[in-house]
Amino acid sequence: MSAPLRKIIHIDMDAFYASVEQRDFPEYRGKPLAVGGSPTGRGVVATASYEARKFGVRSAMSSRKAIQLCPDIIFVYPRFEVYKAVSNKIREIFSRYTDLIEPLSLDEAYLDVTEDKLNIGSAMEIAGQIKNAIRSELNLTASAGVSINKFVAKIASDINKPDGLTFIGPSKIESFMSSLPVEKFHGVGKVTADKMKGMGIFTGADLKKLSEEELVKRFGKTGYFYYQIVRGLDDRLVQTHRETKSLGAEDTFTYDLTTPEEMHKELDRIGEIVFNRLQKKQLQGRTVTLKVKFSDFTQITRNQSFNSAVTDIDAIIDTAKSLLDKVEMNEKPVRLLGISLSNFHEPEIPSRKPKYPGQLELFT
Amino acid sequence: MKFVVSSSVLLKQLSAINGVVSTNPIVPILENFLLTLDGNSLTVTASDLQTVMITEIEVESSEKGAIAIPAKLLLDTLRGLPEQPITLQVNGETFGTEIISDNGRYKLSGENPIDFPKTPAVNRGQSVEFSSSALGSAIANTLFATSTDDLRPAMTGVFVQMGTENATFVATDGHRLVRYRRTDIKSDVDTSMIIQRKALNLLKSCLPSEDLLVKAEFTSSNAFFSFGNIRMICRLIDERFPDYENAIPTNNQNTLTISRMEILSSLRRISIYSNRTTHQVRLKMSLNDLVISAEDLDYSNEANERLMCEYNGEDLEIGFNAKFLIEVLGNLSSKTITFELSAPNRAGLIIPVDQEENEDILMLVMPVMLNTYV
Repeated sequence: MSAPLRKIIHIDMDAFYASVEQRDFPEYRGKPLAVGGSPTGRGVVATASYEARKFGVRSAMSSRKAIQLCPDIIFVYPRFEVYKAVSNKIREIFSRYTDLIEPLSLDEAYLDVTEDKLNIGSAMEIAGQIKNAIRSELNLTASAGVSINKFVAKIASDINKPDGLTFIGPSKIESFMSSLPVEKFHGVGKVTADKMKGMGIFTGADLKKLSEEELVKRFGKTGYFYYQIVRGLDDRLVQTHRETKSLGAEDTFTYDLTTPEEMHKELDRIGEIVFNRLQKKQLQGRTVTLKVKFSDFTQITRNQSFNSAVTDIDAIIDTAKSLLDKVEMNEKPVRLLGISLSNFHEPEIPSRKPKYPGQLELFT
Repeated sequence: MKFVVSSSVLLKQLSAINGVVSTNPIVPILENFLLTLDGNSLTVTASDLQTVMITEIEVESSEKGAIAIPAKLLLDTLRGLPEQPITLQVNGETFGTEIISDNGRYKLSGENPIDFPKTPAVNRGQSVEFSSSALGSAIANTLFATSTDDLRPAMTGVFVQMGTENATFVATDGHRLVRYRRTDIKSDVDTSMIIQRKALNLLKSCLPSEDLLVKAEFTSSNAFFSFGNIRMICRLIDERFPDYENAIPTNNQNTLTISRMEILSSLRRISIYSNRTTHQVRLKMSLNDLVISAEDLDYSNEANERLMCEYNGEDLEIGFNAKFLIEVLGNLSSKTITFELSAPNRAGLIIPVDQEENEDILMLVMPVMLNTYV
C-alpha cells in the first residue's frame, strides 16, 4: 500500500520586488520598472515589473541591456530591508494555515497542507485563502500551484502567472509532464536544455522514453531525478529547516579587472565578507569555490577541498587566490569574482537560539 | 603498606568526598581515590582536576605508603559490608590491594599513586573564617540561579565579594539574579572571585549538620575550604562577572506586598494554562488588586486569578516567565514578600519582608515582553 497522497502548495509572489515598489510608490504603477543595480554602471536586474517584461526585460539581465530593450524603464535600487519585512508578513500568513513551511527565498515557499490546521477542507481553498490574505493585507499578488508533490506544485504555480491558481491532480500529472518542454523541468538550466535538445529531447514525453540507466549515464545522478519527476514522482519532503549547503559572497565590479593585483585586492575584500558571514552563521566549510565571470559573461568556477574545515580568513583568501592564479584568463577582463565555502562541518559551538521567546535579558 | 580501619568510618568519609569523582574523567587515574598513609593517619584524595576533596581518617597502623584505588569498587565493597574492622593490605610493587574482612578477602588492582595529579598548594592566600551554617545558606540561596550555559562561563558560578563589612554572593543566568549578603562573613581585605557551581554543590552536600567553623583561603586561582576533617580546593572561574550592580534598578515607584505562599500557589496553577514554550504569565496591578493570567492560544487554554495584596503605584501590566518566578519565590522563606517594579520592560525586584538576622536577600527577575493578541 502506498502512503496517502500529500497536499503541497507552491506560492510564488508575482514580480515581488517590483510589485512592492509599485505598491509603495504610486508613481511607478503601470510603468516598466526594474529593481536592481544602476543602469549607468554595470548592475543587473533583480526583478522586472510585468510592464517591463513585455519588452523582454528579465531577471539577471544586465541593466544596460534592459535599458536598450526598454528605454523608458525606471530603475530603482532594491530596499531589501522592506522586502524582508514583507516576506516575514507573508510567512506569518502561511503559518496560519500550516506549520510545514519551506521558504525557498523571500518570495517563494512550499507549504505542506496535508494536515489541515484550520479544517478548511481543500488545498485549493487554502491556496485561495492565502492568495486573498496576501492581497487584502499586503496589497500584493501571488501565484499558487497545488499538487501532490513539490515539483509539480512548483510547475503549476508558474502556469497562470500573475495572480494564478492552478491545480494539477494525480490523474493529470503524467500527461501534463509529457507535454512539458524540457527547460521547464526544475534543475534543467540552459546548458542541460541545449544538451537535451541536441539529443532530440524536447519535451517530457521524449525524456520519458529514456531508461533510468541511460539518463544516469548521460546526466549523472540528476538523471535519476529526471527519471522520477517525468513520471510525476517526487517524494522530497517540505523541509521547515533547510540546511545551508554553501555560503559565499560575490561582487560585480564597476569596471572590468585586468591585472592579477587588482583581482587579488578584490578577493581580499570578498574573502573578508565571506568570513564574516560564516562566523555569523557559525559554519565551517571544507571546500573553497572561486567564481569568475568574464566581460563576455562566460563564467567558470574552480574549487579546492581540504581534509578539515578552512577556518582561517587568510586560508580562505589564499586558496581563492591560488585558484584564480591557475585560471586560464586568455587575456579576458573579469567582470565578477566570488568566493564561497561548502561541505560544512557541524559547527563546534552550538547556536544560541533564545530558549524563551520574548524573555528580556539582564545583561545585553 | 597495611592498615586497619572501621568499615563504616571509612565508608562515611569516602562518601563525603565521592561526589568529586566523575564517572568518565579526562584522565583515567581520576576514577581512583588516592590513599596516603602516614602512621595512624590516612589521607584520602579525590579530584576532577577542577576540584579536589581531601579527608583525613584515623587508622591503626605504623606504616607509610600510598596507593590509588578504584573509587567505585572500594565504595561498593564497603557498602556491602556489615560494620567491622577491616584490613587493607597493599603490595607496593604490584599495587595489588587486598581487603580483609570477617566475611572474606577481596582482591583488586590499584594504580601507581605517582600518577595521581598533585593537589595545588595554598600559598599566602587571603584567609577568612565563618560558620558552616552561614556558608550553607549562602550557597542554598544562590546556587539555583546560576547558569548552566557553558558559553557564558562567568555565570556558571557564584560571584563572591568579601569585604570588611559583609560578604555578597551573586548568581545569575541573565534572566534572573540573586544578591545574597551576610554581615557575619567578613574579610580584612576586599577580595572577589567566581566559584564553580559544581564545587559549591559538593560543598553544600558535605557541610555538616552541626555548626562548625569553616576556614577559607583564597588565592587568585583557587579557593580552599576546610572544616572538620575535610578539605576542599577548587579552581576559580577566571572570567569577569557581569556588572550586576548596574542591572538592579533603583527607582521603583510601584510596590506590591503579598503573601509569598499565596502568589506562589496561584502562579503554579496559572502556569499550567500558559504557553508551553514561553511559560508567560501576566501580572496586572492596580490599587490593592492583582490579577494573574495566562493563555495558550494553540490549545485555547486560559486562566486567571485575582489575589489580595497591597499595591501602591500606577496601574501596571507586566509579563514574566512563570518558571523563573516560581523558582525564585520557592527559594525564599519569608512569609510576606514585596515586588518592586518600575516598567513592563524593566527588572522586577523581589524582596523578602522578614529577613533573618545578618541576612540581606534581593532577587530579581527580568520580564517577558507581552505580545498583545488581536
